[in-house]
Formats: sequence, C-alpha cells, structure tokens
Amino acid sequence: MTRFLASTITFPYKRSLGPVVGAFMTALTERRILGIRNGETVLVPPMEWDPATGAELEHDFVEVGPAGTVKSWTWVSAPSEQHPLAHPFAFALIQLDGATTPLLHAVDAGSAEAMAEGGRVAPRWRGTRLGRIDDIVCFVPGETPETEGEDTGPAEQPVERMDYLASITYRNPVPDATDRAVEASKDHRLLGLRCPTCQRVYAGGRGYCPIDALELGPDCEVELPHAGTITNYSIVTPVQYPGQTETEPFVRAFVLLDGTDVIVPYAAVIDLPADEVRVGQRVAAVWASPAEEIDEGGGMGGAWGALIGWIPSGEPDVADPDLVNRIF
Amino acid sequence: MSARPCAVVGIGQTHHKSRRLDVSFGGLVREAVFRALDDARMTMADIDAVVLGKAPDLFEGVMKPELYLSDALGAVGKPMFRVHTAGSVGGTTAIVAASHVQVGKHRTVLAVAFEKQSEGNAQFALGSGRGASLGAGGAFAPFIRAYIHRSRAPEHIGWKVAVKDRLNALRNPYAHLRIEDISIEKVKASPMMWEPIRFLESCPSSDGACAMVLTDEDGGKAAAADGRPPAWVLGTSSRSEPPSFPGRDPVRPAAALQCAADVYSQAGITEPRRQIDMAELYVPFSWHEPIWLEAFGLADEGEGWKLVDDGTTELGGSLPINASGGVLSSNPIGASGLLRFAEAANQVRGAAGEHQVEGAKVAIGMAYGANSQYFSTWAVGSSLQPFA
Repeated sequence: MTRFLASTITFPYKRSLGPVVGAFMTALTERRILGIRNGETVLVPPMEWDPATGAELEHDFVEVGPAGTVKSWTWVSAPSEQHPLAHPFAFALIQLDGATTPLLHAVDAGSAEAMAEGGRVAPRWRGTRLGRIDDIVCFVPGETPETEGEDTGPAEQPVERMDYLASITYRNPVPDATDRAVEASKDHRLLGLRCPTCQRVYAGGRGYCPIDALELGPDCEVELPHAGTITNYSIVTPVQYPGQTETEPFVRAFVLLDGTDVIVPYAAVIDLPADEVRVGQRVAAVWASPAEEIDEGGGMGGAWGALIGWIPSGEPDVADPDLVNRIF
Repeated sequence: MSARPCAVVGIGQTHHKSRRLDVSFGGLVREAVFRALDDARMTMADIDAVVLGKAPDLFEGVMKPELYLSDALGAVGKPMFRVHTAGSVGGTTAIVAASHVQVGKHRTVLAVAFEKQSEGNAQFALGSGRGASLGAGGAFAPFIRAYIHRSRAPEHIGWKVAVKDRLNALRNPYAHLRIEDISIEKVKASPMMWEPIRFLESCPSSDGACAMVLTDEDGGKAAAADGRPPAWVLGTSSRSEPPSFPGRDPVRPAAALQCAADVYSQAGITEPRRQIDMAELYVPFSWHEPIWLEAFGLADEGEGWKLVDDGTTELGGSLPINASGGVLSSNPIGASGLLRFAEAANQVRGAAGEHQVEGAKVAIGMAYGANSQYFSTWAVGSSLQPFA
C-alpha cells in the first residue's frame, strides 16, 4: 500500500485591485453595486477592458441593483469550509437591475425548491464591510436588501488592495524508496541506491537515477558511511515571511560521505555556528532519538528520516583544493 | 534548421517598481502590451496567438493566470499558451512565440511575461511554502564560492558588476533601482546576506511586465521599409538538466554549454567574443556575470572575471553586458528573462535609447532558472545575415 502524507500550503496574498475593481469594492463598503458601461452593455462586476476585444474602457460607472433576477443556478448541498455559507445554498448567476451581464454569487434560499430561473433576489450586506465581494454575505429571495448585524459604515479610504488568504492541502504519495530509507534511518542506517548503469549513488530516499531515467529498487541498496567532509555551504540570512521558522542566520552544508561519491546536499548542522563553518571540516551524522518526530517524506526531494544533521567530529580538516567544487 | 525568418517588431515594458499598487494584474500586463503594440504600429486585432510566461503560481497565488488574463490580453478566440521554465521562463516565452512564426503556424505572435512580487513573497514561494527557505541567494552562494575558488577571482569583481549594472540602470527609464550614489564602497559596506553575496550584489524584488510582438519575414521587411528596423531572430535554444546528481557542475552546467553551442551554431557564430556586440545575461547576483561569460563562451574558462576587471563589459567597453541595468536593477521574475531578450532585440534595432551600444548588430539574450538548470538563449541581429 502506498503511503500518503498530507501537507498544507497557506499564504496571505495581497491583491492590488486597480482603478476599476477598486472602485467597485469601495462602493460595496457603501452598500452600492457598480457596473461599467461598455457600449450598449453594462458589465457587473466592472472590468477594465472589453472582455471580447481587450479594448480599454472609459471609467463610466453605473450603479445597478441592488435587486436582480436569477438567470441560472446550482444547488450546493454539502458546503465545504471555503464556501460562502455553512449550510446548503445556491450558487446563482444574478442579473442585477440595470446590468446586462450576470454576477456570480450565493443565494440563501433555504432549499433547492425555493430556487427558480427568473426568481428575484436582493443582497444581504455584511455589517462590517472591508471592500471584498463577500461584503455581500449572499443574496436572499425578494426585493429588499438586508444588513447582517450592526452597520459600521463605509470604508474611510478608497479600497486599493484586498487580502486573499490562500490555502491548499496536498496528499503526496511517498515513494517506496523513501519509505525504505526512512525505515533504515530509524536503525541509524544511511541507505544509498546505486544506479546499475552509471554507478552513481543516490541517498535520501530518492529512488531513481535522473541521468539514466531508471527506477532504483531494493536490489540497488548500499550502506553509506556516517562520517564525511563539508565541501561547500550556505549561510542564509532569513527573510521574514509568513511560515518562516528561522530568525538567525543558519547554515546548510554539503557533506561528502567518506570513501564515496555521495553528497548529502543542503544538510542541517548541529553545534556548528554560522561563523565557524568552513570547507574541509569533518562531520559525523546525528540521529534522532526514538521519541523525536522525524521527516517521513512527502515533499519532492525524498526524506532523511532520523538523520537530523551533522556535527563537527573534531578530526583535522581535509585539505583538498577540489572539495569546494563538489556541491552535487 | 530550416526555420522561416522571424522578426521582433515591437517591444514594451512597464516602469518596474517594488510595488505597483496602482494596477491589477491585467492593468500591469496591458501597460507593457500596449507599449509593444504601439511600437509595432499594431492593435490587438493584428495578433494571431498569445504566449504568456511567469514564475510558478505560488508567487502570486493565482492558478492558471494565462486563462485569467486571456481577455485582458485580447486573446479571446485565439490560441493562448502558458510557458513554465522557472526563472528562465521569460526567455522561453520569447522562444515559444518565435517558434510559432518560424514554423509558419502563426504570422504575428504576442509574447508577454510578468511578475507582481508585491502580492506574495518570493522567499516563501522559493521555499515551497515551508520555513527556512534558502531563497535564490542561499541556493546560489555555494556555486559562487566554487567559481571564486577555481578562478581565483579577487572579491572586488562582484562589487564592480554591482556598480556597473546600477550605473547602466540610471540610463534606463524603466529600471527599478536608481541608486544615484552607487559606488564600490557602498556595495562593500552593504550587509552580507548569503556569504559571499552582499545585499547590493543582489537583485531587487519587482513588479513589472514585458511584451514583445514577433512577426514573419514580410512583417519584418515592412517595418524596416517604414523606418522601424526589426531585430531578426538568428537562433534560439532552451536546454535543461536535473537539479542534482553526483558530478553535476552548477558553475558550468552542461545545459548552459549545450544551449550556447546550439544558438551559436544556428546563428553562424563561431567566435562569440568577436562576433557578438553585446549581451543581456541573466545576472541576479553580481558573480553570475563572469560565471555566464565563461559558460556562454564569451570568455575562456577562468577568465570571465578579467573582462569585468578591465572594463570590457562596461557600456563603453568592447563587450557591454547588461547595458539595461539587468536583473540586478529590475527583477519582475517571470518577466526578467523576456526583458533580457527584449533588451538584446532593442540593441540591434538601435532602439535602446540612452543605453544604446554604438553600432550593435548582433546581440544575445539569455535567461536561466531553478537550481541553475534551465537555460534559454537567443541571438538576434540587425539583419538576417549579419556575418555575410
């Protein structure tokens, strides 16, 4: 059975709205809905350009709605966390009065039976509006707009940017080779896989040779030594971003394993301050204790399992002028 | 290669800045597109196909921006393509656009590339959304350390490139960084970010876009007859290699050497140093100038830094590199490669303004990406047979 690992990527993006969508969003905070004139038509939401030809549009805004007519709809019977309402609702194409294009939004109709093409709906405004499309919580059947909670009024400044918290969860299959390497690491064994064609050895649970495009199975396994030499390194000054785990400069080292051609790339170092790392330094593998949480794989680059980093071994440095070139 | 001729007849770019909060994605790309169309004396109706390039979607969190932007780019009802080769993507975008003309599939193609770095965070995106991102500087610092070691280049070479490109940027009205008092002392005193790379030896984060109109031989000749010289595409190549394997050399990647050999062979370039008048190389960190001079055959191995040291690569030198100010002065990532290709084309069109290299007839534009593993290059000339 293939093992799967889930990972979630989340980031608070900032959207620059531009002069047209910005005006639309600013108007939403005033509980007004704007369209833009494009010849005989009125586009809602407004666009900067003619959607058919790409021609630039004059900023000739028209207030539309607030009520409109359902042109088409579909029922969402099991909403997810990312849907606008927590209970079943309709997504509908709503042509607001005065508009010639429909707006996609949610309709809180209670049941699918209450939805029909040609049905009339009006917005339910959020009390506190930020200049986002969900300043309209949803539409409700009828002609009369509502406001949910206390109305805190329009935005004080024109709305120019919008927060967009993006989040996506992946389920990645873990290759068999990674599983085998992670299991071996729990017994403090460092597994490599030797390509039968080019004889290159790959560590870190990477189960293929990118040069010969070969999958490397258990028959290719070799045991690798637990000592090596730092050939090159990065000292990274961390830039702060959402999800950053580092605050101080940190080291990633390239470790050439003794008696092999194998580099452990971008390896973490332990008890080795950034201002003391150097080419030629001798290091030894450090293994996690059984209770520690380890990298079980699931990313793109395999996994090192219980091998958590490399520590200076105190042996004399290796003086080989070609070492620094062994990055991979 | 029995390609049909392809001419660059229009180029446009935005004023690159840290934050273009005044424009949407659509507004940003359209600024570049309309400048390119105006330059080509065309409208969107003249375009037969559109090719869009940008960095991976994690940079701005927009999935499939090519679909999202299709109407902004006037591509409704037309073939629309997305190109995806990491940092080299802008260059590859121009190559894909050119190939549609070269095989006779489309007459006139619009190439567009952009990045709006202010909407996200590059370090986050380069680290695949995890903590402890190496960033580009952290990834490339070991390569630079290896280059310095094997070439025995003195440390001031990195500072010199950083100063040269920022001085060139002062002549380019579109450039992001305008450091009027740039100097060796200022670069040397700037903070160490990823040893041996200092802050001022690094590219900025920019919002910006670039667009280019490519057309066939008739279109190129018509532009020339109208007093608007085109740039003729002499050769194009994209090559890549795996990110890591035992024995891989990121200072002279096999993909870079092959990419250069391929382009030179198509263009009839046998002595790059003598036959190429200027180059726009993708230099996000100053040491990449000597590194790519060598990998692209513009200097012998181990000698690239000497062309920096003796002023050869300055605007007034015999082989100016990054006359536009380069990636070190403007880095809207997805667009940065297309900007290199566009600046090379503008040079042979004689349209580079204040940073024009006198008499440039043959130029190359080059971009690279990811773990120094994707390479895109083209050679352009003021005529189809510049060596005849």
